[in-house]
Amino acid sequence: MKFLRRKQQFYAASPRSKNVSEWLAALSQNNEDFIKKVLQTPFGNLTFWYYNSLIDHERLNVDICKPLKSQPWKTAGDVERAVYVDNTEVTSDITVANDKLLSGFAACQLPDNKNEVLFINAPADVQREVSVPETEFSVIGPQESFVEKLETNIFLVRKRLPIEDLRIRKIGVGTLSKTETAILYIDGIADDENVQTVEQRIKEVQFDEVLGTNALAQMIQDHSMTVFPQFVNTERPDRVAASLAEGKVIFMTNGSPEAIVTPSTLVEFFTSLEDYYLPWYIASFVRVLRLFSFVFSVFATPVYVAVLTYHYELIPKDLLATIIASRSNIPFPPVLEALFLEFTIELLREAGARLPTKVGQTIGIVGGIVIGQASVEAGLTSNILLIVVALAALASFTAPVYQMGNTVRVIRFPFIIFAALFGAVGIALTLAFFLAHLIRLESIGRPYLSPFYPLRLADWKDTFVRLPYSTFTKRPTQMRPESKKRMSMAKADKEKDIDE
Amino acid sequence: MHVKVKEKFQVSPPMVFFIIHAMQVGVGMLGFQRIIAKSSGYDSWIPVIIAGVVISLVIRMMYYILKVNHNDVIEVHRNLFGKWLGGLLSLALILYFYMTGVLVLRTYIEVIQVWVFEDLPTWVLTVLAAGFVYYVIKGGFRTVVGLCVAGVFIPSILFFILLMPLEYADFLNFLPIWKHSLKDILAGAKDTTLTFIGFELLLLFYPFIKHGYRSHKWAQLGHWASVVVYTLLMIVTLAFFSEGQLKITIWPTLTLLKIIEFPFIERFEYLGISLWLIIVVPNIVTAFWGASRGLKRLFSIKQRYVVLFMVLTLIIVVPPIDNRQAVNTLNEWVNQIGFWVIIAYIPFLCAVQFIHSKWKRKNET
Repeated sequence: MKFLRRKQQFYAASPRSKNVSEWLAALSQNNEDFIKKVLQTPFGNLTFWYYNSLIDHERLNVDICKPLKSQPWKTAGDVERAVYVDNTEVTSDITVANDKLLSGFAACQLPDNKNEVLFINAPADVQREVSVPETEFSVIGPQESFVEKLETNIFLVRKRLPIEDLRIRKIGVGTLSKTETAILYIDGIADDENVQTVEQRIKEVQFDEVLGTNALAQMIQDHSMTVFPQFVNTERPDRVAASLAEGKVIFMTNGSPEAIVTPSTLVEFFTSLEDYYLPWYIASFVRVLRLFSFVFSVFATPVYVAVLTYHYELIPKDLLATIIASRSNIPFPPVLEALFLEFTIELLREAGARLPTKVGQTIGIVGGIVIGQASVEAGLTSNILLIVVALAALASFTAPVYQMGNTVRVIRFPFIIFAALFGAVGIALTLAFFLAHLIRLESIGRPYLSPFYPLRLADWKDTFVRLPYSTFTKRPTQMRPESKKRMSMAKADKEKDIDE
Repeated sequence: MHVKVKEKFQVSPPMVFFIIHAMQVGVGMLGFQRIIAKSSGYDSWIPVIIAGVVISLVIRMMYYILKVNHNDVIEVHRNLFGKWLGGLLSLALILYFYMTGVLVLRTYIEVIQVWVFEDLPTWVLTVLAAGFVYYVIKGGFRTVVGLCVAGVFIPSILFFILLMPLEYADFLNFLPIWKHSLKDILAGAKDTTLTFIGFELLLLFYPFIKHGYRSHKWAQLGHWASVVVYTLLMIVTLAFFSEGQLKITIWPTLTLLKIIEFPFIERFEYLGISLWLIIVVPNIVTAFWGASRGLKRLFSIKQRYVVLFMVLTLIIVVPPIDNRQAVNTLNEWVNQIGFWVIIAYIPFLCAVQFIHSKWKRKNET
């Protein structure tokens, strides 16, 4: 079968001429947005070469061309001093020159020098304003979210952690995209092993175009055969700062308004930053509610299917009458009924997500009310199932991290199918399988189910509930922080007597 | 052949609490009351405590053996009895572990067939269980232990629910205390040891515990937690059932669950049986893990293949055991063997080890 196997070739850059000036001239012939501009000054003619799309033209005119017309110059050094730009470099190396041109430098060629070119930085800067977080919205707390520019994102984090030990390492990922990726960690808190693991894995990525942070996260995650997300992704700089302070390692790429938090645990996907802004008892209440809604969302429909298919006896007599009344006209077995409704809900959700906001709302109303009501009246589904499925869908929206909401959507289906096959035993079997699966999962080599397994009771104060800050004396052990203490409790420990 | 387990694959000493407790609480808990009450009647809670004390001593002996050798029972056998006899003993022990796994699986399937699905063929659940066991054991010992932890925490709510039948309890049943002869009580104690079977796996997973010997107190704690649970359940059962009724109730625990009612749920035993799967799963998985680990150590073959082979044999071995009689016979056989392993073999091994160490020390000086 050798003739089937064609020789596959990797992309390689087209051949370049040795001389910088010749190379520049060749470039302008192949690319129509590569421009040659001759600047006439009283002291001689200067030739500029640049990518038209990558250059800020106002800067080029005001900060570079204008001073060169009035100030006398003779050598490259004179030009460097004359322009109002700090970032300049003289080089004859074509590889360096290529990188410079592509990152928004203008090449300036002096009339008598054919071998060396001066590069002046004047990058175009198209950037969205820092805006309100959309997917991780919170009512109180800071309303900033990341944008598509890495420098701005790092600025947003640095502003919150003004210490020199906040280290940033940059790596270019992707053979074509050369996506600039930054790894952030606090030296002295973050475990070196974690930092190394993340760095090593990002360096080893071999792919041509890295689409963005989330794509990169999928390339470096521990397990790809799982529906559970292994890293929290966040668009909130405050979440990043809080995670860094706990000893986590963050990475983000240029061009994505998100950061990835590693290592992550299952519980973290159910925490919202608002839990830390609200008083602890309210935060704990909300968190318990969220965990309950996760359980409800996964188990509600399967339990309905299991009970109505096999275990009628479970339902007390009075309640059974209601259920039978609502189901008496329905020609399908419960599992088909449930799958039909679940499919409808998923359809609505997907349609709502793909359509523009205003149309999406209409779809929601049309779908939710009209289809739901109509299918009940037509005798396709029972009222009770409609309530159960709608509540389960609602409950799945409470997951504060978007990816976990998707997981909840998907894992419901194996439960429904096994409930239809083996009733409550099927549900328990699927649960056991998912438990084993979760126990096996790891996030950059750290257990995913911590602090439940391995059991770390000290970390439980920030899981089901969030206890007051005074109990957070130590950092969570999941990340194996190099320094464990967060604060000294010496003062707080001193007990005061009444009325003193 | 001294094999040291890498720290990455080890578990911390407190985990032994969960393993021991999860292994002891299993499918036996559904029906142990009747067997004990056959001989000890309303005094049946006393044998539970007596058996608890005896097994606590056996655990102490196991730790003595393991502490001296710093290794698992395969190595102990080889040191004490040589390559051939030791290997044969190890093989017998491995077969016993395999059979306990089969027994638990088959008994649980029987409970499902009696209480939930009458016509469900045995092989369906066996195939599902086989796949599950393979998936878990492939994750290594830490995954097995993780299931033990889950198997203790998640169903713990059932134990509180089992206190609810106390509503109908009659505690006068217990009086006068100790109305049976010592012989009857001891016979009851013998039957009780069977419900505690499973902790012997410590002989195999000992090298997987960080600072092995320090886990002794956790093992004892796990064992005593089981004793407390069994004793409480026994007291609830005795207070609820009459002696005559208890004698004809095969699964008293499920009957207890049956009478619990909430405004939105009746016939709690359906939920109970399903949730019991989470309790039973660690039993099965740990037993097969032990058996496959033993074979790996004995013959130096890859555990991956052993597990795969073992899981496939399950599909052949389990379905032919297809009626109450066969399940009962298997139960009695494995229980007899288990009883003698605990009561006779482990003390014997302990004694041999003791003499061996003394003799060795004498020779050295």
